Amino acid sequence: MNGSGLGSGHRRGRAEVAVTGMAVTTAYGRGGDALLAGVLSGAAAFSPVTRFDVSARRVRTAATLPGSPVLRDELTAVIDQACDQAKLSAAQRASAPLFLAAHQRADLPRRRQRAVTYTSACVAASTAVADAASTIAHGDAERVVVAAGYVVEPDQFALFDAGRALATDDAVRPFSKGRKGLLLGDGVAAIVLEADPREPLAWIRGWGRAGDAYHVCQPRPDGSGLARAIGAALRRAGVGAGDVDYVNAHGSGSPQSDAAEAAALRAAGLDTVPVSSTKSLHGQALEASPLIELITTVLAANSGTLPVNAGFLEPDPDCPLNVILGEPLARFPRYPLIVNSAFGGANTALLVGAA
Amino acid sequence: MRLRTRAHARWPGGEVPPVAGFITSSFSPLAAEVARLCLQQVEPGRETAVIIVSPSGDTVTAAATRQAVASARRPGPLLFFQAVPNAVAGHIAARWDLRGPVVCLSPDAASLEPGLDAARLVIRDGDAEEALVILIEQSEVGDSAEAVLVKGIRP
Repeated sequence: MNGSGLGSGHRRGRAEVAVTGMAVTTAYGRGGDALLAGVLSGAAAFSPVTRFDVSARRVRTAATLPGSPVLRDELTAVIDQACDQAKLSAAQRASAPLFLAAHQRADLPRRRQRAVTYTSACVAASTAVADAASTIAHGDAERVVVAAGYVVEPDQFALFDAGRALATDDAVRPFSKGRKGLLLGDGVAAIVLEADPREPLAWIRGWGRAGDAYHVCQPRPDGSGLARAIGAALRRAGVGAGDVDYVNAHGSGSPQSDAAEAAALRAAGLDTVPVSSTKSLHGQALEASPLIELITTVLAANSGTLPVNAGFLEPDPDCPLNVILGEPLARFPRYPLIVNSAFGGANTALLVGAA
Repeated sequence: MRLRTRAHARWPGGEVPPVAGFITSSFSPLAAEVARLCLQQVEPGRETAVIIVSPSGDTVTAAATRQAVASARRPGPLLFFQAVPNAVAGHIAARWDLRGPVVCLSPDAASLEPGLDAARLVIRDGDAEEALVILIEQSEVGDSAEAVLVKGIRP
C-alpha cells in the first residue's frame, strides 16, 4: 500500500485532515474487528426484532445487538474509545469540539466540550464529518470529535413501517432488481479528526454537500444533486473520477433512491468503479449510518478487502453499476468515496485517502 | 467568512397556512411560511443552502408518533415523511429552487447563530453562495420562527 498518504494534486496551503481514532458498535458487535469480520463474511446482520413488540408491524426484522443498549451510554463509550486510540490527553478531549449526529439533541452524553448536534436524517453524520474536516482544514480547530448514534427503537421503526419503507422480504438489496426497501440497524460510532497527524488511520481528502431542490422525500431522478456533491469532493481533493477506486454507496435498497443514486454515479463518471452498499449488511442506522460506512470503508481499505453488496438477486437496468458480488474484492483502494443521501434532497460525498 | 444579510423575517403569529402533505404539527408549515416571508423580499440565488435550526425539533410529530406506538396503533403514514426536518427543508428548496446543501441542527438554545456558523462553512467551502437559515421552536408557551437569507462576502 502506498505509504505516502498524498493524493496527486492535493490542495496545499490548508491543514491535512486525518482520522486518528475510530470506535464503532453495530449489530455485529462492539469494535472495529467485529464490524470488519461481519461485513467481510457477507452474511447480513438482520434478524427478528425482539427488543420491543413488533406484532402490529408489517415488517419485523432489523439488525440489532442483543438486549436494549442505551444510546447515551453507547455514545459515551465510543467517544472514549476513539479518543483513546487517538491518544488524546484529558485536556485535548475537553477542548475538542464535538459534532454529534442523532435524531434529537436529548440523546447527547453528558457534555464535556463544545457540541453541535446534526439532525439532518441520513446525511447527518456525513455532514458533521464534512463540517469537521472543513473546520480543521481552515485552521479553526486542531481536532474535532465526530460521533453519531441510532439504536433501533419502537417509534422510528413504527414510522418506517407505516411509510412502507421497510423491506417486506427481510433483506436489503441495493441496486438489485426486486429490491423492496431498507431495514433498520443499530449503529453507534465516533472518530477523531486531526490536523497533520503523525499516525493517520486514513485521510479525509475531500468533501461535498449539495441539494436536489426537488421533493420532500424523493431524490431528483437524474441524480444531479448527488453528482454535484461528488464533484465538489473530488475537486477539493484535487483528484479526478478516474482516481476513485471504490465507492461505498448510500444504497438504501429503495426502488427510486437506488436508481437516482446510480444515475448520480454515472453522471460523476463512477459507474465502472467497484461499488457496494454495506447497508445490505449492517442495516440503515439513520443519522449514524454515514459514520458507520466511513469507518467500514477505512477498515476495509486498510485490510485490502472490499465488502460485497449483499442481497443482490439480478441486475436492474436502471442501476448499471460495477457492483461487488459473490466474494469480497481484494484491493487496497487509494481513494475510496463514501456517498449518502437523505430526505429533502440532501446529498453528501466524502473522499478518503489511504494512509 | 463574513456574511451579509439580504433579507430577514420573523413570524408575526396567528394562523399558519397549511402545507399539503404535512399534518398535525405546525412545525413544517411554520418553517415554510417564515421562509416565504423572508424570500418574498428578494430573489435568492440557486446556489442557496437551506439550514433548519431547532432546539426542540418537531415535538408534536414526535408526540403523535409516541402516542400511536404506546396505544398499539399504526402511526399515520404522513407522519413518517415529516418526522425529520429535512422534509420541510426539501419542500422549501423545491418551492424556491434552492440547490445548495440541506443542513439541520439542534442547538441548546434558540438562536440563529449555529445556523449562521453552518452557513459560513458551506459558503467558505464553495458548496453554496447564500444560505437560508430558519430557526423554529415549539414549546408549551407557543411557537416561534425566524428566517434570514445571508450571502457570503468573498474578498
